[in-house]
Amino acid sequence: MYKYLLCSRYLWTRYLALASIISVMLGVGTLVVVNSVMAGFSSKLLHRFRGLQSDVVVKARSYYGFPDLAFKMQTIRERFGSRVKDIAPVIEAFAMAEYRVDRTQAVIKKPIKLIGIDPVTRAATSDFANWLMTPANKKEPEKCFELRGEALKDFKLFHQNLWQHQNLPTGMMPPTVGIIPPTNIVQAQGTTDNKLPVPPPMTNVPSMPPPKVFGAVAGWGLSTFRNPKSHQDGKENQEPQDRIILHPGDTMKLMLATRDDIVGSDGVSRSQVAHTADFVVTDLFRSDMSMIDGMVVFVSLEDLQQLQVMHNMATSLEIKLNDYDRDAEGVLNELYTLFPETFYEVKTWKEIGGPVISAIAVERSILNVLLFLIIAVAGFGILAIFYMIVVEKTRDIGILKSLGASNWGVMGIFVSYGLLLGIVGSGLGTLGGIVFTHHINEIERVISKLCGQDVFPKDIYFFDKIPVELNFWMLLWVNAGAIAIATAASVLPAIRAAMLHPVRALRFE
Amino acid sequence: MSDHLTTENLQKSYHKHRIDIPVLQGVDLTVPRGAFVSVVGTSGSGKSTLLHLLGTLDKPDAGKIMLHGKRIDNLPSSERDQLRNRTFGYIFQFYHLLPEFSVLENVSMPGMIKHSVLSWLGNRRALRKAAQEMLDRVGLSHRLRHKPRELSGGEMQRAAIARALITHPEILLADEPTGNLDADTGGEVLRLLLELNQQDGLTIVMVTHNKEMANQTGTVLHMQRGKLIPAPEAGQPASSGIERLRLMSA
Repeated sequence: MYKYLLCSRYLWTRYLALASIISVMLGVGTLVVVNSVMAGFSSKLLHRFRGLQSDVVVKARSYYGFPDLAFKMQTIRERFGSRVKDIAPVIEAFAMAEYRVDRTQAVIKKPIKLIGIDPVTRAATSDFANWLMTPANKKEPEKCFELRGEALKDFKLFHQNLWQHQNLPTGMMPPTVGIIPPTNIVQAQGTTDNKLPVPPPMTNVPSMPPPKVFGAVAGWGLSTFRNPKSHQDGKENQEPQDRIILHPGDTMKLMLATRDDIVGSDGVSRSQVAHTADFVVTDLFRSDMSMIDGMVVFVSLEDLQQLQVMHNMATSLEIKLNDYDRDAEGVLNELYTLFPETFYEVKTWKEIGGPVISAIAVERSILNVLLFLIIAVAGFGILAIFYMIVVEKTRDIGILKSLGASNWGVMGIFVSYGLLLGIVGSGLGTLGGIVFTHHINEIERVISKLCGQDVFPKDIYFFDKIPVELNFWMLLWVNAGAIAIATAASVLPAIRAAMLHPVRALRFE
Repeated sequence: MSDHLTTENLQKSYHKHRIDIPVLQGVDLTVPRGAFVSVVGTSGSGKSTLLHLLGTLDKPDAGKIMLHGKRIDNLPSSERDQLRNRTFGYIFQFYHLLPEFSVLENVSMPGMIKHSVLSWLGNRRALRKAAQEMLDRVGLSHRLRHKPRELSGGEMQRAAIARALITHPEILLADEPTGNLDADTGGEVLRLLLELNQQDGLTIVMVTHNKEMANQTGTVLHMQRGKLIPAPEAGQPASSGIERLRLMSA
């Protein structure tokens, strides 16, 4: 009994012990925060990679894809039966996009990745539907390449005005042309300040023929400007606002290369030809992965097949399984035989996202080792402080021995002291770590403000907010490790205390 | 009166800088049950060392220490710990109370050492009550919650006596218990010890350099250069219970 009473009393009365508690607390707190953030990163990335594509992807090694798309899909369905939930054919190509900022004369040209999809199967095999910004399209992704609602009205009005302007008799002044801010998404993002007056409808002019529309769903990064955190406006504490500059209803010019293995009607092979096509942005998407949002434009598979002269062709097949964990291995093995390695690449979503996820796991392990070394340093601090406490308490040790305390009992006092110190330090560190983790984004803003530099630049990382994930087992291991280190550090001073000769201890001054 | 604690040819040296410094050079002592024995001598004569050996705080280089005829100096460490906890009670010149604990907790400390956690929790009320009663007996019932630094020297020594007696030891070993106190307070402490000896029959071995105080106890032994020598003048018996004291000195 006396062991526990003594160690608890020493804990609260010796300020030196407070230093040990703080060192353990800081070590554990840092470990909890770092592990939570790394786990959050890992988990979010995993989740997003999971939503990025289907379970298994069969991709042609050739840039120009593979023929017999319908036959291949039929073969897969027949071979795997109920194991396959859906198959999404995809064409991936690179293109140069050209579009105007807010329909002004400012033109942006960017290289992009063009992905031709069938929205229905794409939505069934990935998170595509959830990424769409127009609420109606989330429910009906099959209509995402159609102009609807406000976007359609804006589009018609804009083109009517343009058409009328081009057909006006010489000398007449044109109506206000060009800048018609759409309202549907702008309102959703809360940036309605840039509304400009809509020109009045014109009368007695020829009616406009219905437009031919190639629909495109553009990435959020392509379609927006990120407002810098304007220090002048005193809005440092606000989340940075994205301002939409490419609205649904706007036109985007895409320049892409056709296949270079096309044989013309004269039987002569044509070299690669650059195509230019006008697409109308029908919706925007946001996957919250900057590398996707900043360079991907989705278009209809049929349109891309037509433009690329790739009828009944695709570059990859994305296969969604009913039970990935159960069937993945078997399906993969059969796919390897169906699609020879020379021409096709067969990968699971884990293999595709693997390098990034593995990199995070490796970083996490290294950080854990380094941070545990910090706790080990704290352990040496405990050892030194305990030696001092043993020296300071030498006479008390002599008194206890004269009262019948055994060597083991005296050792137990200091080992229990280390254990208690570890428990208190770890407990406080865990508590601090959890609180820090819960308010990490607010803390990040304060630190960024103090440093004058973004600690977590949203443009560099994939996420708008620092993702965190607290895991019970992680907390348990971190605490167990820290407590073990604190206890181990107290063993040597405890042995020294136990070995003290009672008479010499009593005479110690 | 039966022999309680005896020693035979007790020898002890300290080693300092490769030199042996003999402290006890063959001490034969018999302390009967219920005796109040004072050992007087000059500083460095070996009286405190003798007390430490008697109370198993240290081991002799040669010779034997026997309690009820059973040798105790060569017992395993755990049994010696038990003896210090249950059979011997210690009081020191500098009181040696634990500074972080209240008077009540200090007095309860031997009980806490004696009992395991479960046993302590099961008996804590009785043990607490016993500690309070002991403090009441030494006149400190109003100082239960006070820390040692808040007590006077005499009060601290009385608290130390209460702590030494809480486990009802057979023998009280007192190492200059009045050495740090003024004459009046020292007298009070001695009166308390005499009372314990006379009323409870507690065997006391006291080491002191104060001959006046020693003369009030039952038997006075003189120590010189590590040996007990016959008393130049006999001490006044303090208790009718003391029947004999056999002194054998080499």
